[in-house]
This record gives sequence, structure tokens and C-alpha cells, in this order.
Amino acid sequence: MAQPGSIFCGSADHGLSRRGFLGAAGAATAGTFAADMTRLDGLKNPLLAGQVKRQQKSVILLWLAGGASQFETWDPKPGQSTGGPYSKIKTSANDVHISELLPKMAQRMNHTAIIRSINSKIGDHGGGASLMETGRVKDPGLIYPDIGAIAARELGRADSQVPDYVSMYTSTEGRRKGTSGFLGARYAPMFLSDKQIPDNMRRLEAISDVDHKDRAALRDLLSKRFTKARHSEKINSHTTAYSRVHGLMSSEKLFDIEQEPESVRAKYGPRQFAQQCLIARRLVEAGTPFVKVARAWWDSHGQNFETHRELCADLDHAMSTLLDDLEERGLLENTLVVTLGEFGRTPKINASLGRDHFANAWSCSLSGCGVRGGSFYGKTEPEGNTVADGEVGAAEVFATILEALGIDHEKEYMIGSRPIPLSDFGAKPIKEVLA
Amino acid sequence: MTWSDPEKLKRVKDFGISGIAFCVARESGSGKLFFGNSDFKVYEVDALAEKPEPAAFEAEGHQSYVTGIVQNQTQLVSGSYDGNLIWWDSESKKPTRTVKAHERWIRNVTASPDGSIVASVADDMVGKLWDAKSGETMHTLKDHKEETPDHYPSMLYAGAFSPDGKWLATADKVGHIAVWEVASGKKAAELESPGMYTWDPRARRHSIGGIRSVAFSHDSKLLAAGGIGKIGNIDHLGGPSRVEIFDWQKGESLHVIEDNELKGLVEQIEFDPSGNWLLAAGGDHGGFVSFYSVETGKLIKQDKAPMHVHQLAMNDDSTGFFAVGHGKIAHYEFKSDHPPGPAEPPLPEDAA
Amino acid sequence: MFRACLTVATTFLCAQVSLYATDLLPADQPMESVIDHYVDDLIKTNDVQTASQIDEHILIRRLTLDLAGRIPTTAELHAFVSADPATRRAKLVDKLLASPDFIDHHRNELQVLLEYPDRRNDKDFRNYLLWATEQNRPWNTMFRDMLAGDENDEYQKAALQFVRHRAKSLDDLTNDTAVLFFGVNVSCAKCHDHPLVEDWKQDHYYGMQSFFSRTFLTKKQSLGEKFYGDVKFTTTSGVEKQAQFMFLNGSVVKDDTPELDDDSRKKYDALVKKLQQDDKIEVSYPEFRPRERLVETASHKDNDAFLARNIVNRIWHRMTGRGIVDPPDQLHSENSPSHPELLDWLARDTVENGYDLKRLIRGIALSRIYSRSSEWNSAAAPPSPHYFAVAIPRPLSPRQYAMSLLVATRNPPHWEQWLTKPAEDWKKERTNLENATNNWDDAFEIPGENFQVAVDEALFFSNNNRIDNDLLRDSGDRLVGHLKKLDDPEAALSAAFEAVNSRQPTDDERKAIIEYLESRREDSPAAIKQVVWALLTGPELRFNH
Repeated sequence: MAQPGSIFCGSADHGLSRRGFLGAAGAATAGTFAADMTRLDGLKNPLLAGQVKRQQKSVILLWLAGGASQFETWDPKPGQSTGGPYSKIKTSANDVHISELLPKMAQRMNHTAIIRSINSKIGDHGGGASLMETGRVKDPGLIYPDIGAIAARELGRADSQVPDYVSMYTSTEGRRKGTSGFLGARYAPMFLSDKQIPDNMRRLEAISDVDHKDRAALRDLLSKRFTKARHSEKINSHTTAYSRVHGLMSSEKLFDIEQEPESVRAKYGPRQFAQQCLIARRLVEAGTPFVKVARAWWDSHGQNFETHRELCADLDHAMSTLLDDLEERGLLENTLVVTLGEFGRTPKINASLGRDHFANAWSCSLSGCGVRGGSFYGKTEPEGNTVADGEVGAAEVFATILEALGIDHEKEYMIGSRPIPLSDFGAKPIKEVLA
Repeated sequence: MTWSDPEKLKRVKDFGISGIAFCVARESGSGKLFFGNSDFKVYEVDALAEKPEPAAFEAEGHQSYVTGIVQNQTQLVSGSYDGNLIWWDSESKKPTRTVKAHERWIRNVTASPDGSIVASVADDMVGKLWDAKSGETMHTLKDHKEETPDHYPSMLYAGAFSPDGKWLATADKVGHIAVWEVASGKKAAELESPGMYTWDPRARRHSIGGIRSVAFSHDSKLLAAGGIGKIGNIDHLGGPSRVEIFDWQKGESLHVIEDNELKGLVEQIEFDPSGNWLLAAGGDHGGFVSFYSVETGKLIKQDKAPMHVHQLAMNDDSTGFFAVGHGKIAHYEFKSDHPPGPAEPPLPEDAA
Repeated sequence: MFRACLTVATTFLCAQVSLYATDLLPADQPMESVIDHYVDDLIKTNDVQTASQIDEHILIRRLTLDLAGRIPTTAELHAFVSADPATRRAKLVDKLLASPDFIDHHRNELQVLLEYPDRRNDKDFRNYLLWATEQNRPWNTMFRDMLAGDENDEYQKAALQFVRHRAKSLDDLTNDTAVLFFGVNVSCAKCHDHPLVEDWKQDHYYGMQSFFSRTFLTKKQSLGEKFYGDVKFTTTSGVEKQAQFMFLNGSVVKDDTPELDDDSRKKYDALVKKLQQDDKIEVSYPEFRPRERLVETASHKDNDAFLARNIVNRIWHRMTGRGIVDPPDQLHSENSPSHPELLDWLARDTVENGYDLKRLIRGIALSRIYSRSSEWNSAAAPPSPHYFAVAIPRPLSPRQYAMSLLVATRNPPHWEQWLTKPAEDWKKERTNLENATNNWDDAFEIPGENFQVAVDEALFFSNNNRIDNDLLRDSGDRLVGHLKKLDDPEAALSAAFEAVNSRQPTDDERKAIIEYLESRREDSPAAIKQVVWALLTGPELRFNH
């Protein structure tokens, strides 16, 4: 019999004792844990997933690290001296032609809008990446959160039991983790650099499940006494972090594509980028608001056409499979898929048949949630040297992404005495590509 | 009487052209060149004229980069990234036949020594042999894998006939070479030169390289393949220019020549009729023409070309050539008025 | 571009921040009583309730964390608790301030502050700070070392890493100097006059920038200064202006170099270019060196309020979790200090006592407000933090946390020897510990304004094998090994609590945990591990409370 006031049942039966112990001290954690698992199980079946269709919105950012060529993707210029050898092809959206290197995407342009008139001005990798990730020029003394952290903060739940910002960047070149800046570490990305599963997600063999639960309950006990009379957001964040551990550990399986039926895995195929897109789909389905899948390295200073032949094939396959999969599961209308990088590439083809860094007239794409599929915005002049119509910068792209997700891009965070709007001062979303 | 002597290599002249010339054919006994360009056009130019003035074939032709061209008397055959082979009358400069030859980009067009057969290779990973007269397909050569070992689309870059006309070699991105019997279209041999392909699994996760050129020696016994060696930063062509020489019938690699002095892709190889040297040309941001000893694989002479060289055409007695490439055409000579003299006494082994 | 730009730029600039308030308490009054006087004054005026004073366990813990950068050892805890209550606090403060622990810790804190917002862990810079801290080098001298030191001096050269690391970004150099040394964030004034703060005009931003605009890195990674060159900027009304060498209070420095003709300019341009490309030539400097002039101006007795107030405010913030001006980089007229006289008294005291930061830290550590509890048990809402009526729990810095984990998980009797051993021996041991933290501090976030514990940290403690293999190792030299040998679970529990939380368990804790240990008697080593894990990951260790 449990004694009054005891958190342990007092039985000599250890199993029972532990159940009693957990029953009292670990109830909250265990409860959430169970709920999430049910949900994950349910979502294995696409039909069920459709039925429990979320209102929650998510982003999958396909980060084309190094800078993909707009000519070989979204803004082909065949026949121009700058156009390169590849032709353009018709798409499922009237009036929109894209590079022949993206034949599968061409059939799915009804989900996708292209912005062809970005002049972001900054042409070095670090500066360009930071600009496009945060939607503004770096400000001395203030570290801005990137789009992932903002999405995690605006779309996620503070006590989320799944990761709310996952960032995959497997290649070593140009690797960037992403940053939550002034939003704080709560919104920092869970970062995958060399493995498909994040560090410290998996329980160590040496520690039994029982020990894991016991010590969490013990920690809870000690923590409650300490936090009772101390009012501090910082201490709360400590509690929150530990309260998310079990949920996150149970979401380990989200990173394991072996959990998918063979038929689904076969569609995504053997290449890493597509497999990471499958992980992204699994995460989004389970409620993760932001996943970045970085595909490096598009920096084709030499052999631009050979490089794009490979990487566009990768992008075309991964992105079109992802869009199909999301659509089939009823997730596409609440999931925004973005392709973006630090800049585009020069119209001029250099002697190594390469294209160099170019930020003055390049493209990105938005698909799914909140997007007017089959549309395009802006124009470059025939050789692609400058924007001819509808010039936008990083801030407008940023505002457009936020609006597509239903987030007020003018909402402000107060940092000290400074109001910081989510998108840079004065930026307007590009209504033409929004649904 | 003149003899060829690589030691005497000198650039006689070079002149600018608009765009990038990927391929060249020379009319026998003259300096008249036909070249395929990045503006989708075929051009004619007299490279020996005081002020060479390239003139484009204005008739409707290719729809993409022109990457291969061969000539047989008044007939030209060109190939392009548009997948078409076009037969032209070189005098009227009008197409006489257009054939949808490949599903994907044609990378190279080459002709048999007697001009009767044309071979094309393309990224659909097949080689095709064509009757130069009728334009009919004689054989379709299937051996090269469509995907690299890393599951990306492969590319079939190079093809060359043997001087005796019996064999055709084709070579691809991952360093695989197939030798075909021309008459039957059957595969006669396979060779591998994996050092031509760099897959970067870690830093940049894509690949670069490929065999960009093949050539048989004049006795048809040796086969050389050209490309680029292992590259650290695969987004630049900063790797050693690379030639591998095989005794192809024995399946034996005789030399691997890696040159770190003038780097980049070896876009074309030519053997010396006498069998002493081979000429490799290509480039990175700049260009090179390099002579190597066939016997030892050692460098004889090289020049930093004024542009990345995509192809060259030898003159009739192999004492000079016209190189075409990025924005330029260059005329080189390496002739001597006496046969290359008795070599200086060979250096003792250890001095090398 | 910008939303509402409030004021039209005017050229009239005034020093908004007057030097020091008059009518301050006498300079010779003990600092701790001055602090208590001013803080209690505001509390009384507003009829604010205060938290109680902490007990000796929390006191030694708080002091040791703040002055030594770690929790106290069990041996130190026992010694303190049994010492004379009348004198033990002051004695401990002086002992810690004289210890090698203080040198390392103070260095670490300065490093985190000065490397902000990056986390470079620059070795040369760390060495400089250690050297400076060892001899209690005055803050104004350190300011000179870091901004305009002599490159021929080994230590000052290392100090210049402050500039060197930022030399490629004029904006970073400008803003970080303003923020870290003067407590002023002028970055908003780059594009327009500050929308909310009257003090900061574009003239100030570009004025500050002028002092750095001639700085460049030579090929040899030395810091050169160009022979001419001015900063130009465009006002929001589109007028192009030339910036002056202007300090934050409007003081202007004149470049008295005669105007250079085109030939000399070309000559100097060529020289600069050469220095940037060739690592063999010696740097030659112009007569007029703007960074030196900034240091002179900012340290001048007419202008030193920024320098002095900022460092006082930074140290105060470190010791209490909140600045008298808060946030600490917002020292301007629209963000009044909570206790202006106190700030001024402390700033005056600091200037008059040779910018002795140890003296300042000591004064705060001995004040009554420093030893207030962080617990608020009243039903009423806790008072606003600017009263300093309740202590603010402060997250440990990465090195404090790492060091505390290492101290807590050693076999407690190990620490007894240091009570009697010569100081030199402890110095070696402390250095070893400090070096050991190098392997840990990356796992934790640096506390800042928006600090949150990352879930990565919780996952790290939950599943990383370093926790099990290192911190929870059950060998004899470790806490778990020591506890395992104690037959009595009660004794084990006491030892564990003292080692980690510097106190005995409460009755409730004791009861619950003993019960747990009893239930796991068949595998008590594993059970002990779980208890220690729960202590190590608890908020009580994670925060200075």
C-alpha cells in the first residue's frame, strides 16, 4: 500500500513500485508521450493522415547551397548567348516554361509559383546565405533569427514533442547550421550534419528504459521543489527542454525511413537528397513546422552544365516526389515547399564553362501552402543580366513566405527598445504569387 | 621537306571569335576550317587569311550548342546538344539532311578515316554508326551505363575511329571505355580509367571529370584516353590534366600521365603518325597544348594556350594544327627543316 | 525603406548624458553600504516587499560561483558553515578574490563579453585577458590595450585581437566598440536617426565609425591605419555629409594633418596596398591615429562617463542578473537607470580608484542586496526586477556549468587536501580543471538577454555517452564511486546533495529518494547513478540562485 504523501508505492515489488513512482511523478510526461505515439502510428496510413488533416502549417525549405543557376532551373534563356546548351520545356502551367533539366517538375508546375526577379545584391556565400535566411542585411550587434526559427516560433507549440526546426546539411562545403538569433535557443535548429538521425536522440544501450524513466521522474521531483517559488522564464525553459526529451526521443523514428513502406521508399529512390526529403515529409506529417534540407553544392564555377545536369536531376526527382507525396496525403495545402539559395549564377559563361556568383537577377520557387500555383512573378531581360520587371529583394521573398503561411509579416518582436518586424522594414509580400 | 618536331612548337597566330567553338573540321590542303559554336551555328573561316573572318551558315540548323563536326569532301556532318545530326553541303552552306539521332545531347561526332562512316555519341549513353552517304543507322552501340555508381545521370563524351578504320572507341564520364568492331557493331574490348572520374561524397556531393577524348595510335594498337585526374575542389577545373595510354588489345595500361603544370580537361588527343609523341590539348580557365613521349609518357613540350581548347584539327603532314575553343582560334606549328636529330645522350637513370 | 522616421536630422548635437549627478553619498563610505542605501531607498519609497536573506549554504554557493566560477567543494562548504558567522562572508569574499579561481573566472566572463556576439574562444585573446586579470590591470588600460595597444608588446598585440577580428567589418567594429565599452547601441542610427532615442543621430554612428574607418589588416595580420580618408554618409533627406571624428557625447577630434595632394595620396594608397599584399614590409603609421584618439577622448575626464558607467553596469549585471541600465547596451536618455545615483557613485568610485574591477566586485558581493533570496513565497506578484528586491536566478555560463559539473562529480574527500595545501598546488589543480572544461563548454548556450536552455542540452544529458562514461563513472575518484562505497543510503544521499547542491536534502526529498533507493536495492549502483543524474540536470545546479 502506498503511504499517504509518498510518491512511491512502497511495495517490495520493484516493477509495481516503479509504476507507482512514475504514476505520480511522471504522469504528465508519459501522457504526452503516449498521445504523440498514437498520432505517429495513425499517420503511417495516408488515408488516416488525410482524416486527421492538420490545420498546422509547415515549411520544407530546399536550400540549394552554393547558388543554383536560374538559367538551368526556373528562368531558362535558350538561344541567348548567355543561355547555355539546354532548352526550355512547357509545363503543366500555361505560359510557364522551365529548363529541360526539370522535366518532372514541369508536370507539376500547377502547384508552384516562380519568382524570377530577385535582385539581392550580395554575391558572397556567407553574406548571401545570411541575407536570404534572415530576409535582411546583417545588423551589427543583433543576431536575427532565420526563417526556420521564426516558423518554429510562429507555427510551433512551445511544448512541442516533435522537433520544430530541423536542419539537414550533410555536405561540408558551405555548411550552415541556421540560427535562432534573438529568439533564443528554444528555437534553434536540431542539426543533422553527418547522420540521418540527430545526435543524442537515441537512448544509450547502457541505460535501460526503466532507468531513463526513473531518473526523469527523480529530476522532476527535485525540479518542482526548486521552481516552486522562483519565477523565471529562463528556469522555465530548462524545465521545458527536459520535458520535451521523451517526446523527441520517441520521434527518433521520424528520421528512420526504414519505417516507410518499400513502395514509398522506392519512389524517393537511393539518393540522399530525396531520402532527406522523405524524412522532411515524415517530420512535417508529425507536426514539425520547419524542415530545411540543404542540397550542396551548386557552386558551379567550372562545368556549370555538367554540375546542373546532376544536381537538377536530383532536385527534379526529389522535389516532384515530395510534392506528389504531400499531395497524396492531403498535406500539400498546408505545407509550403521553397527552393532558395544564397544567389543565382552569372549570365556570362566563363572559360571553364562555369557560371560564377550572381545576385542581381535570379529566381526562387514556392509550392503548395498559400501559393498561387502555375504563376510566375517578375521578368529578367532577354539575356538575364538584369531584372526587367518586378524587382524584389530578400525582404520581399521573406515577407511572401510568411504571408503564404498566414503569418503577419509585419508582426514585431521587441528587442530592448527596438521593434523588429518579422520581415524587414517596409517589405511587402508579392501578392501575385499568393493564393 | 619538313618534319614534325614538338620541340619547335610555336603559336603562329590566334584570333578572336564570338562565343565558344566546341569542334572543328579542316578542309584538306588548306586553312579553311568549319567549326561548331555555342551560338548554335556552324561557321566557316579561312584561318590562314590575314584577317580571318568567320562566316556563319545562316540556314536553319541546330537548336543548341554544336559539339561535333566532320567533313568529307563537300559534305559536312554536325551534331548538337539538340540531339540532331545535320548533313550540310559545305559549298551552299545549306542542310541536306537532318536526322534525330539521339534522345539526349550529342557530345561528339567523328568520321572513319575514309569518310564513309560517321559515329556519334550522346548522353542517352549510346554510340551510333551512320552511313555517311545515306544517313542510315548502321549500328547502335549499347554498353555505357546510364547512371554513375552514385546514381546520377552519366554522360558519354568521346568517340574515335582507329586509323585502320576497323575499330571505334567510346568513353564515358565514369572512365569506362568500350572498343567496337566497326563492321559488326560488336564490342571487342573494355577498358577502365577510373581516375578520370571524381565523385566528392563529402564536401560538395556531386561529380566532375569523365573521359573527354580518345585516340588510337597510327598502328591502331595503342589507345589513349584524356580527361582530368582527381580534383580537390570539384567546382573548379583545378585538377591535373590526365592521359592514360593502353595497349587496348592486351587490356594493359602503359602510362598514366598527370600534369599539374597546366591543369584541366584533356579535350583532344592526337597521335604522331611516326608513333613518337602524342599531343593533348584542353584547359581549365586557361588552356594548354602538350606533347608527351608515347614511349616514356614524359612531357616533351607544352604551351599555355590563349584559351581553353575544345578541339583541334591537324594539318596534312602533322606539323601544325588549328585549335578552337573559348572565344579564340589559334594556329600552331611545330616543324623543322631537318628530321629530329639524334637525341642527346640519354641522361643516367637517377638523374630523371 | 524605413518606416516612420521621426525627426529630421539636425546638426545640433548636445551631450545628453551629463557627467555625474551631484549630491552623491560621500566617496569614502563603504561601497556595500552605498549600494544598500540607494537600492533600499527606492524600495522604501515605493513600499516594495523584499525577499529574505539567503542561508549560509546558498551564500557560499552564490559567492563561489560569482567569484570563482564554480560551485564550492564539499570541503569548502563544511569549512564555511562552521566558521564564525560574523566574519565568514567578508573573509570568503577576500579569499576568493585572491584565488586563482577568480583570475580564470573573471577572464572567462570578460572573454564572453568581449567576443560577443561570436564565440571564438580565441587563444591569444584568452591569454591576454588572463595576464591582465592576474595583475588586476585597470579597465581603462585594458580598453587602451584592446583598441589601440602596441603591436610590439606581446600582450597588447594579443589584446588587439578585439580589433583584428572585426577589422573586415567596419560596422561590427563600430557597433561592438560602442556596445561593449560604452553601453550604447548606435546601430539603428546607421540608416537614420534613432527612431526612439533622441541621443543617437547618424552623426554619432558615422562619427564613431570615423575612428575605425582607416583601420586595415595587413598581410601580416598587423593593424595598419591609413593616412587619410573620411567617412561620408547620406542623411534620410538625401543630403551627403562628411562625418567628423565625433565621440558619443558630441566631442569632436580634429585631424590636423595638412591636406594631402594627389601625389601623396597615390603614394600612400600604394603603400597601403603593398601592406595588404606583402607580408615582408614593416608597417609604418601616420601621425594622426584615429583609434588612439578615440581611446584618449573616451578616457578623458570630461568624457569618461560612458566608459565608467558601462563597466560598472556590466559588472553589476553579471553579479545580479540585471543592469542598473537594462539591457546593458541601452545606456541613453530614453532608458533611465533604475538607480541613477548609485550608478554614478559606482562610476565615480571606479574612476577615482583606478578602474579597479576587483574593488567593484567586492563591494557588490558584500552588499545586502546581493544576498537576497531568489525565492518569492508571497501570494502577491513578485516586485519588478528593477528594484533588486528578489534575487534573479542566473543561468550558469558554459564554463561555470562545466566546471561545476566537474567539481560536483569528483569524489568529495578529494577536495579536503586543498584546505591545507599550499596555494601554488591549488593553482595547478585549478588550471587543470579549467583546461578540462574546454571539452564541455560547447555543449551549453551562452547566457544572454534571451537565454533559453536548448533542448539539445537536455538531449545531451539524456543520451550522450559522455555523461555516463565520464560524469557518472563509478570509479573510486568519482562521486558515484564514492557513494557506492557508502553502505548507508542516508549518508550517500547527504553526500550527493552536498556535492552537487551545496546543501542537505529536505525531509521530503530524503524520504522520497530513500524510498526509491530501497526499491532498487538489488541494483543500487544503477539507482545511485540515476539520483546523481537527476541532481546534475536539475535547475538547482544549472542556475546561480
